Amino acid sequence: MSRLYLYGITRPREVPQRLADQGVSLVADDGRAAVVSELDEGPVEATRRNLLAHADVVEQLHEETVVLPARFGYILEGREEALELLALPEIEQLLERHARTCELTLRGKYEESVLAEVGAGLQPLRDAYRAQPSVEVGIALGEAVGERLAGRRARDKSLVLDGLQPLVLDVVAGEPAGEFAAFDLALLVERDRVHSIEAQVEELSARLSPPLHFKLVGPLPPYSFVRLAMPAVA
Amino acid sequence: MQRESSAGYITRAPRSSGLADVLEILLDRGLVIDAFVRVSLVGIELLTVDLRVVIASVDTYLRFAEAVNRLDLRAVDDSRSVPDLFEKGGEEVAETKTKGAVEGGMDAIKEKIGLGGHDDDDEDDDKERSRSGSRSRGNNR
Repeated sequence: MSRLYLYGITRPREVPQRLADQGVSLVADDGRAAVVSELDEGPVEATRRNLLAHADVVEQLHEETVVLPARFGYILEGREEALELLALPEIEQLLERHARTCELTLRGKYEESVLAEVGAGLQPLRDAYRAQPSVEVGIALGEAVGERLAGRRARDKSLVLDGLQPLVLDVVAGEPAGEFAAFDLALLVERDRVHSIEAQVEELSARLSPPLHFKLVGPLPPYSFVRLAMPAVA
Repeated sequence: MQRESSAGYITRAPRSSGLADVLEILLDRGLVIDAFVRVSLVGIELLTVDLRVVIASVDTYLRFAEAVNRLDLRAVDDSRSVPDLFEKGGEEVAETKTKGAVEGGMDAIKEKIGLGGHDDDDEDDDKERSRSGSRSRGNNR
């Protein structure tokens, strides 16, 4: 029995030719289907190629219908295990919940000029650093700047959330990665409301840019909204 | 495929594109069912370490300090917003006038915390040397 790599779960359907040519197939049962490909022995390597392939499969399938994306690296020991997974009532609930949803990710990043803005009230420290650019004074100044940047980040994140809240079904806020990152939000929205999010981001940008830059990606499969909290059963 | 908005502050992409996007958007996310999970991966730790930059580091603070200094040198007690500065071309002037001094300062810092490639144990001597270095470079501008 061969191991299967699980990309995600969808409704039974025809696999687009391009994906079928890459070995992607469905294990279907009773209105639900696991999107899989056969896997050799050994672990899945977290390479650029593998990650992009995973995203490509679930994102292409998602263009037409619901896909619950699996976590990257999810391996099933065979068809039996795929069928067990499909039989879980939680899977049917998620498929119904996401029938017409999509995820948009909205990330905010500051340009460097934000430092001049947040540093505006730190004149004594800046004068001291200019007079004597020592490590100690540099760290004190940098720490104070970092603190104010954190405050700015919190303020802007809540402004953005307030603006988007009425338009979204759900939000997951991730930890922004990088010292100039402002926020990293996954938004769950109805597929036909993507345009209203775009319009709202334009409005937010008019208020907050510069120094804030926005990156809006999607419509994507609901990567951040398919967690199941289930007790481990034997 | 990405396009910039007319204002240039919004990047819009229909799909995750490129490794950075994929890492931020889908890594650690997606369907997991505790009873079934068989996540079997090699190399994921390296990727996540690369991604999650440690924010509160001495190095970051020193770069913040240097940047605040550089962005601000022209308008010492001025609360004008940054766009004003850009419009008046102040950035360029400040950059030219002060680059030598700032770089000298950073060199001094790097040497002291051991990033400058010197293995000199005598701290006072070290500091003295880099100070004179920054002066002479400043005068060259």
